[in-house]
Amino acid sequence: MSFLAMAWRYLKFRRLVTFLTVVGIALGVALVCAVLALRHESERALSREAGLYDLVVGGKGSPLQLVLASVYHLDSPTGNLPYTDYGKLRRDPRVLWAAPMGLGDNYAGYRIVGTDAHFFDLPDRNGKPFFRLARGHIFEDRFEVFLGSHVAAASGLDIGDTFFGTHGLVDVPGGEVHRDFPYEVSGVLAPTSTAQDRAIFGTLASVWEIHETEDRLHSAIQGTALLSDEEEREVTSILARLKTPGLRLWMADEIRKRSDCIAAIPINEILRFQRGVIGPVQRALLAVAAAVVLVACLTVLTTLHQAAERRRRDVAILRSLGALRSEVAALVFTEGVLLTGAGIAFGLLLGHGGLALASIPIRDATGLVLHPWHMPKAEGIALGVMALCGAAASLFPAISSYRRTPIDDLHLTD
Amino acid sequence: MIRLHDVSLCLGNASRTSAVQFHLPAFEVAAGETVVLTGPSGCGKSTLLNLVASLRRADAGEVTVANVDLATLSPAQLDRHRGTHCGMVLQTFHLLAPFTAIENVTIGLRFGARKRDNTRRRADEVLRRVGLGDRLHARPHQLSVGERQRVAIARAIAGGAPILLADEPTGSLDPDTGREIFALLQEVATEDGRTLLMVTHDPALAAELPRRLDCTGLIRSTIIAGGRDTNA
Repeated sequence: MSFLAMAWRYLKFRRLVTFLTVVGIALGVALVCAVLALRHESERALSREAGLYDLVVGGKGSPLQLVLASVYHLDSPTGNLPYTDYGKLRRDPRVLWAAPMGLGDNYAGYRIVGTDAHFFDLPDRNGKPFFRLARGHIFEDRFEVFLGSHVAAASGLDIGDTFFGTHGLVDVPGGEVHRDFPYEVSGVLAPTSTAQDRAIFGTLASVWEIHETEDRLHSAIQGTALLSDEEEREVTSILARLKTPGLRLWMADEIRKRSDCIAAIPINEILRFQRGVIGPVQRALLAVAAAVVLVACLTVLTTLHQAAERRRRDVAILRSLGALRSEVAALVFTEGVLLTGAGIAFGLLLGHGGLALASIPIRDATGLVLHPWHMPKAEGIALGVMALCGAAASLFPAISSYRRTPIDDLHLTD
Repeated sequence: MIRLHDVSLCLGNASRTSAVQFHLPAFEVAAGETVVLTGPSGCGKSTLLNLVASLRRADAGEVTVANVDLATLSPAQLDRHRGTHCGMVLQTFHLLAPFTAIENVTIGLRFGARKRDNTRRRADEVLRRVGLGDRLHARPHQLSVGERQRVAIARAIAGGAPILLADEPTGSLDPDTGREIFALLQEVATEDGRTLLMVTHDPALAAELPRRLDCTGLIRSTIIAGGRDTNA
């Protein structure tokens, strides 16, 4: 019978204590894994998305708010800017790609983004098209729309289906439904693992038409003038990719100076947000997790010490049978390593399993697609440290068993 | 096979002025011989067994077991020597609770100098020899006290140790079972030519063996500074 088999049998013999110790370690490990993996994945997902665009131009307001509204479809936009600014930006020789965004309506909480066909020419950082159609075609008619992959899956809408937009960016009961303007689904985008999967894309013209009709009605009631000249039309924001990211700061500064709008650099805003808001929360969570792991390691130490105390007689018996000091110490150490190993394995499973479960509501709420089973380097290091702590905790009772003289314990009664 | 000459060992302090001292002037046991150790509780019978089993080291004098002077061995060598030459049977059986009868015997063959191949077959063989062929997979708590002692005997002889050390092997058993175990020990010692040193309080059992050592007086209180020399 091997050391491993013997140690396993001893652990099985004290199954309740073994179970509780493994659970204690697993909870600590799970917390550490979940926090580290969540931090890594959220950073990766946020940065990946923010990195798609070099600039977001919008009305005066908070740059972070502008980025959250335009890139992640999360916050309210800062304010409109003239449509003519879009033309100027597209014509700028430093701009590789630019697309307008007109927001104002939603369907079942999913934002309807008015844009033009140029939006879908966005290249990824390798120069390949970022958007790909899963089926159908990009809008040809003013009221044709196509759906982000998550919207298609969640809403059950498919090509040829029609629906009405509701005024506002969030789905609130009693919202104003634009029943005179049915949208027809013409296509569905392939998944992009970004917030764009949670958007519905229509023409800018449809957004203008719906809201100008509403304005016309309100103007008729109030007797005020109507804005119908294309030169006076507005967009919510403009997304832009530059020929080289090095131009970002220069252009952002230039836009701020020359017009009544702001230009935000998404990656800068997101990193600032992560470091300023998410970072401290994650550090606090990590500190809690480290405390839990420390307690778990102390539990291993206590459990093994108590087990070794209870087994003084068994160790003495083994010694009386000719077992070497090193052999009984190795047996006790193996038990500790098994306990720690099982705790780490279950904790890993629990942490990443929990993250896998949480990734679904996170995706639904924010559009961020996490890879819950990916293990970041920091997590590997943390696991290594925890394994070392467990091994160190196992060493104490092993040394104690090594030092004991069998004669002291051999005459203990059953 | 066993030789103790002018052996003394301090077992601790009895008081501020006296120490508990084990002293044995001379004792020899030939290979294959059976000796029963008798005497009142605390007289030094178990200490003598522990010295032979190298579970205790003598402070002075010579303890030779299987032609090896134990004083010359390192702790690890003592462990190996014990595993190779001594099989122990104790009053309270000392079986390992998580393991079955056959595993208890197998584990005894797994450590130190006893490491050998075919441990399972050997354990099966010795358990059948002590009459437990149908209880191989029973856990200690599923065995009667007599059966537990049989497992302990099987474990002691499985490694082929030439010396059997039995410390009150019948002390926890009823008289009939005690007699069976006593007979079994004698049988395995005689058939295999093993040396058997057995402690017993039972005068009837002791009377059945040809050689007895009365251990009375082996442990005494020795004066450290002033006072009267007395028996412990």
